[in-house]
Amino acid sequence: MDKSLLRVEHLSVDYKLNNGEVNAVRDVSFSLNRGDSLGIIGESGSGKTSLAMALMGLIKEPGKVRGNIYYENVDINSLSKREIKSIRWNKIALVFQNSLDVLNPLLTIDEQISEVIVKHLNLSKESTSKRVKELLEMVGLSAEIKGYYPHQLSGGMRQRVLIAMALACDPEVLIVDEPTTALDAVYKNEIIKLLSELHKEKKFALLVISHELETIFHLTSKINVMYSGCILEKGITSEVLKNPMHTYTRGLVDSSPTINPYRDLWGIPGESGGSKESGCPFRKRCTQSIEICSTRVPKLEYVSLERQVACHRGGIVTLLEGKNINKIYKNKKTIVKACDDCSIKVRSGEIVALIGESGSGKTTLAGVLSGTILPQEGEVVFEGKLVSGNNFTSRKNGIQIVFQDPFSSINERFSIEEAISEPLRIIKEDSYEEIKIEVKKALEEVQLPNDENFLNRKCYTLSGGQRQRVSIARSLVMKPKLLIADEITSMLDPSTKANIIRLLKGLQNKNGFSMLYITHDLPIARKIADRVYVMHNGKIVEQGIASKIFSDPTDDYTKKLVKEGMSEFN
Amino acid sequence: MNCIKRILEYIIVFFVIISFNFFIPRLMPGDPFTFLSSDEGSVHSSYTDEQIEKYKAYYGLDKPLWEQYKDYVYNLFRGDLGYSIYYNEAVSSIILKRVIWTIGIVVVSIVLSSLLGIFVGAFSAWHRNSAIDKIIYSIMIVFSEIPSFLIAMLLLFGLAAGKGWFPLSGGITVFGEYKNVFEKIKDIVHHGFLPVLALVLSQTGGYYLLSRNSMITVLSKDYMLTASAKGLDDRRIIFRHGLKNAILPVITRIFMNLGSVFGGAILVENVFSYPGIGRLMREAVMVRDYVLMQGIFLNICILVLTMNFLADIVCRKIDPRVE
Ligand SMILES: Nc1ncnc2c1ncn2[C@@H]1O[C@H](COP(=O)(O)OP(=O)(O)OP(=O)(O)O)[C@@H](O)[C@H]1O
Ligand code: SF4
Ligand SMILES: [Mg+2]
Repeated sequence: MDKSLLRVEHLSVDYKLNNGEVNAVRDVSFSLNRGDSLGIIGESGSGKTSLAMALMGLIKEPGKVRGNIYYENVDINSLSKREIKSIRWNKIALVFQNSLDVLNPLLTIDEQISEVIVKHLNLSKESTSKRVKELLEMVGLSAEIKGYYPHQLSGGMRQRVLIAMALACDPEVLIVDEPTTALDAVYKNEIIKLLSELHKEKKFALLVISHELETIFHLTSKINVMYSGCILEKGITSEVLKNPMHTYTRGLVDSSPTINPYRDLWGIPGESGGSKESGCPFRKRCTQSIEICSTRVPKLEYVSLERQVACHRGGIVTLLEGKNINKIYKNKKTIVKACDDCSIKVRSGEIVALIGESGSGKTTLAGVLSGTILPQEGEVVFEGKLVSGNNFTSRKNGIQIVFQDPFSSINERFSIEEAISEPLRIIKEDSYEEIKIEVKKALEEVQLPNDENFLNRKCYTLSGGQRQRVSIARSLVMKPKLLIADEITSMLDPSTKANIIRLLKGLQNKNGFSMLYITHDLPIARKIADRVYVMHNGKIVEQGIASKIFSDPTDDYTKKLVKEGMSEFN
Repeated sequence: MNCIKRILEYIIVFFVIISFNFFIPRLMPGDPFTFLSSDEGSVHSSYTDEQIEKYKAYYGLDKPLWEQYKDYVYNLFRGDLGYSIYYNEAVSSIILKRVIWTIGIVVVSIVLSSLLGIFVGAFSAWHRNSAIDKIIYSIMIVFSEIPSFLIAMLLLFGLAAGKGWFPLSGGITVFGEYKNVFEKIKDIVHHGFLPVLALVLSQTGGYYLLSRNSMITVLSKDYMLTASAKGLDDRRIIFRHGLKNAILPVITRIFMNLGSVFGGAILVENVFSYPGIGRLMREAVMVRDYVLMQGIFLNICILVLTMNFLADIVCRKIDPRVE
């Protein structure tokens, strides 16, 4: 028998509306013990507050709660109204989402705190007043504010009052809803510090609900990632945030400024919707959905000891994997080991940067990965199939490469239309009209004009930046799942460079392809990459999460590279 | 600072009112004596020129307007509202005798109707959209739409004239003799019952609707959710957290409504021949006693102003947010 303090099993919350039903919480289960801390993270509208309300028994008609909530092994739903009232606040208390209206405007702080003490603890007048004083001081407020009315408090003070109020009866479980959302950075840190100290001292079970990763990161040891009412990923907070396994979690982490201080912010494309549909709730925004995703709801399953992911594909899939690749170039006199036992992985929807000095073997590795160069040893697998020759570069939904010199692979005398449509014309899958539509769309995506005039221009009349855009467009018409970009910005001026990078990242975010970004430009790598491989003399010397590699490299060569490459930026 | 500003505002409004009261009759074509001396009113026989001169001198109507105004304000502050020719008595003492009755029924009816409205309104809001709420709501709507004098007439015909349960007129039995104070009070209540009932019936609806509305708004506020989350007793949640907030607009309305309640009272008093200001006003109009009419008008204005002022103070007391 599970001896948890608070145990939630298959909890669902539905709201009936005039035009249908909102499933705000769907089949959520978790358990909490004394001293535990659990964070629930999710975008706005993912059902976090509804979950907290359900735990407090505060969902009102026409809301409906299904499933079980056990407090000390007693099902709360089986209790009478009076018994529930005696648990509320006394055993399970809630720090409400901070708003001006959350405290009664007509009652003093003193009255609003003491009323729960009077109701639940039955203390005398003096002891109550003493307790109120203690509580206020405990959260770092002066006891003088007792006589204040809510409108006389600042946002930060109000948050502290809310915490004091929640702790008034020394609850066993403390639920905190968005404790830091309405606050500025300084207050934010103070509140996080206060809560974590209180948690250490009082040892209550702490449930933190927030869409701010930073808050969850500092306050909790375990995390549940919520989307559209469902838990999509569960695990240890630091692990999950460092290495998200679900595409949604990765999107959340990518859009958090504090977890990713250097990277540009890219929200998860699409809107969250909470309607009742079969299938994976995230499928409309997922970059790797397959057929089964729209018919069956994925269940949470263990992917490692401490990690559960609800995904038919077991989380973010590996798109491309190069295993133990060796490539040696033999000249008359010299032997160059361009790739020395290199292994590399690119997962779906992610940007992997391959960094290293020129001559370290990056382009060779890229060639092997795309199939254009045959290695002496090792193999490359793309979506479970071996890569060889042009089997993936000459088909749709495969691999495309964009090179440093855009026209190394394009005939300069082609018109723009010819240049872009060439790969499609070669595979002969579409009619002329269809191809033309695709070309125009691609030009629009790379932000070039797509009128007849432009289509008929010859390629050699284009500027460097325009040429690079045309070659990106040429790759896009093949709808690649993996785009390998080899030093594509090194020949461009800084402003054009910035534009191209933004364009690529935007396209990647929107279309959801993966990217292997090869560069010796570290600041750019830090700006866009999820993971980084460092190559030196044909060897992969270090690999890992981008933020870690740039802030805390372990390999000596990486250290040197980072120090030199970043020095002008810090 | 703010407070001084408010008081200044009240003083200005007060002066505007008394000035109106002064100038309007004087700027109207003709003068009171054309009415006083006309046969039409038929209460007084016509005045001779001599008499008119005498009265004009008495009222100071022969002085320049500015002098008259000064005298008027000066007298006003002494509490002298002039002299009623018809009643042969100082206007202030006539009004004083009568106003007690009106204030009596107005205050009692306001207290009863607002309390009733607030509590029933809160009850309805708590059970909103239930059958009982719907029934109460429709009844209240109907009553709030019927004018008070109509209710008064129905009551008069039904309960006083028809059943004979209540006296038909007056505020107290004429020449009545009482063994003790309670007897007297009983008599007064007996006379006042129907006028008060008429006013209560006509006003409760308004307070009910306001209170119900206000309570429904308050119930959806975050702090009400906080209150339930705290596991407090329902009674505390409804009254201490809900009603205290919901009541604010009702209180403002009570004081704001005073003018219209007076208006209603004036009509109702006439239906029941109740000896208050309303009846006095009718009498004054009948005999065209301008001085008396002005006095009554002024009194009502001052009363309404005072009530507004009180409303300000009360709201300030309840709502800490009002600076
Ligand atoms: N009382 C209600 N009636 C109907 N629908 C509701 C109600 N409360 C919430 N919802 C819906 O349920 C879903 C989840 O809302 P909830 O407030 O739990 O989200 P949240 O994760 O707390 O969002 P936020 O981060 O913005 O606070 C939303 O689609 C919302 O529109
Ligand atoms: S792969 Fe399918 S199941 Fe997994 S997150 Fe994407 S849509 Fe959902
Ligand atoms: Mg919320």
